[in-house]
Amino acid sequence: MGHDVYKANDKVAEKNRKKLDKHKVFSVNVMGAIGSGKTTLIEEAISHLKEKYRIAVIAGDVIAEMDSSRFRKLDVPTIPVNTGKECHLDAKLVEKALDEIDLDNTDLLLIENVGNLICPVDFKLGEHLRVVVVSVTEGDDIILKHPMIFKTAELAIINKVDIAHAVDVDAEKMREDILSLNPSVPVLLTSKHDWESLETWIDFIEHGVKETLKK
Amino acid sequence: MHEFSIAYEIFDQVINTANAHGATEVKKLILQMGRLSHTNPEQLSFCFNVLAEGSIAENADFVVEMVSPTLECECGYEGEIDEKQIRESSALRSELLAYVAAMECPICGKQANIKGGRELIIKSIEIETEEDRTAE
Repeated sequence: MGHDVYKANDKVAEKNRKKLDKHKVFSVNVMGAIGSGKTTLIEEAISHLKEKYRIAVIAGDVIAEMDSSRFRKLDVPTIPVNTGKECHLDAKLVEKALDEIDLDNTDLLLIENVGNLICPVDFKLGEHLRVVVVSVTEGDDIILKHPMIFKTAELAIINKVDIAHAVDVDAEKMREDILSLNPSVPVLLTSKHDWESLETWIDFIEHGVKETLKK
Repeated sequence: MHEFSIAYEIFDQVINTANAHGATEVKKLILQMGRLSHTNPEQLSFCFNVLAEGSIAENADFVVEMVSPTLECECGYEGEIDEKQIRESSALRSELLAYVAAMECPICGKQANIKGGRELIIKSIEIETEEDRTAE
């Protein structure tokens, strides 16, 4: 037969990617564990970029709509995707969500994946940038426990570094672990209480948006 | 844990293919699973069996062949991971980590990209048709 179950998802992801390219939308898939700070980082990006660019959000949640209501407060179009019992977003769910977004009037699409370091790895969505967020509170062995998500990420963020000392974690060791798996990936250290660190994340996204608009 | 939806996709494909070939029974299906994918073969088999209850695939043998990762490097190398490196890194806690930690190109030593090992392929199915039955 030769039917590849993951390739079936990849094909839909490619379709999503072409659609986004056609409309010049830069899309970011934000993955990470529950409580790593995905929602907060996305909120910061929205707050600081929404005056310059037209932003839409897809918020993946297992059942609740808590994250999407946080994004709606920032006054950007938000599509909640309830995955039911599923542990990750897949390309088909994103395809459906894209139908509800006015892509002609969107420059940046931020996709918050379901909180999980395992399942989202196998499912491409069609995104331009795969981001993994990990917080120091997850412990400094978390990276080597989940090698594939860090190996396949295009940007890695170590978050909540301001409390690393309190939880007895060395953020630099976490950075080294990420680079040992994926030597060319950019790694950012962030804290919501340190604006300069947030700026590195926001600049990274803005760079992607600018490059996409140039095309 | 997303084995159930994957099992559903497999079940759907198997039944469609079996029906298209006039099957009265699915005897066996063979899957190829990349060692870098995050699918659990036992859970997948369990989910498939639950789904297949009462169908023509109810008694099918569910066979999973594990596929080792392969690399592709900018130097032109395409092939397997250096066995020695995997053995050296197998002191690490997981097989997955041992593989990911051993992704240097065996020729030039640079970090190579993953080529194979993330797939989940329905390789083949064995079916019985009405004709097979009359032949017996």
